Amino acid sequence: MIQEIRKAVAERLDSRDGIVALRRRNGGVAPYLFQKGDDLSELEISPKYPLMTLVSRLHKAFPAIRLGVVARGCDERAYIEMVKRNQIDPARLDLIGFACSAEDARACYCREPSPKHLVVGTPPASGPDNPLVAKYNSLPLPERRSFWKKQFSKCIKCYGCRNICPECFCEACAMEDMAWVEPGLLAPPFPTFHMIRAMHMASRCIACRECEHTCPAHIPLTVLYDLMRRDIGDLLGYIPGADLEAQPPLSLSLEQAPLRK
Amino acid sequence: MSAATEFDPKIVAFMCNWCTYAGADNAGVARLESPHNILAVRVMCSGRVSPEMVMRAFRSGADGVLVMGCHIGDCHYAAGNHRTAKRMPLLRNLLGYVGINPERMELAWVSAGEAPRFVEVTKAFAQKIRNLGPLAQEVTE
Repeated sequence: MIQEIRKAVAERLDSRDGIVALRRRNGGVAPYLFQKGDDLSELEISPKYPLMTLVSRLHKAFPAIRLGVVARGCDERAYIEMVKRNQIDPARLDLIGFACSAEDARACYCREPSPKHLVVGTPPASGPDNPLVAKYNSLPLPERRSFWKKQFSKCIKCYGCRNICPECFCEACAMEDMAWVEPGLLAPPFPTFHMIRAMHMASRCIACRECEHTCPAHIPLTVLYDLMRRDIGDLLGYIPGADLEAQPPLSLSLEQAPLRK
Repeated sequence: MSAATEFDPKIVAFMCNWCTYAGADNAGVARLESPHNILAVRVMCSGRVSPEMVMRAFRSGADGVLVMGCHIGDCHYAAGNHRTAKRMPLLRNLLGYVGINPERMELAWVSAGEAPRFVEVTKAFAQKIRNLGPLAQEVTE
């Protein structure tokens, strides 16, 4: 698999200014812009990391740069939502999609562990639903509350969930606005801080699980975001990351995007 | 419970400038009695009411939050309340997901000519919140 990806990158490197991927060096793995002459044997695909954020930064900093990116299913979904919101210029980016392993799919509760634009690998079976999301409806309110109070009380307000998120790119962040989040309180008072993010994720979360992977307090954030994803699907028929042509429904009129119930 | 010790809820009501606020005003002019629990926050459009504003109202001691605007089709800004109509059900669900009774938040359309409806909606909501009890009890317990 990794050899095939390296080969695919090598074949495409000449026709682009660079290809964004992960590189292993000095015992660590970090995002890197591979350019002509770089040692492609250092190219890695794990651990999973959201590379589209880096692509977006490069596109904004260098308006003529033409890139490639090694992309998982979730990277492609992130790409789709970012293109709609003018964070990535699709004319200057090519995806080198590869399929995740069945283990990855299970660990991420991933429904689409392979990109539509697949170059390397064969799609594995979809992962299961998060069991907590599956049984959530039968959970009484006090139980939900005590669960999240305990979880949110672990928060050290590092903003890691926001910083790693490929869909969090607002220049002014509501989670840093003192009108909504008081500075200096740890853990942030239940439940505003995390509710702001969950609400903002409603039409954006592409279920890459990066927030949860990165959270130093191991808060199961994607349980909330999965529920919001389900709601925006039920309410407005919108699945973030599924379709480049579908417009985010929350800023459209009811004629353009009617409520389903 | 005696009248003196009965729970007297605080309710923040966001009202749009063009319809509901005028409706509330007309209720006053017509000397219709609306509940004293309602704290009015006038906004230019119900579409202005962000989820953060609702959360802050709860955090600042509101036991219930009403969001009120023009009926769909009557919005002064054509489709401002369409955003409210989509956003608020999501927020309501989210309140439920973190374990806060979603009944504490309600969305209602009240036009400038519907003073009696304004009274009806606010009275019913105040009674609902009175029955639910203080939010602080829920959140801090």
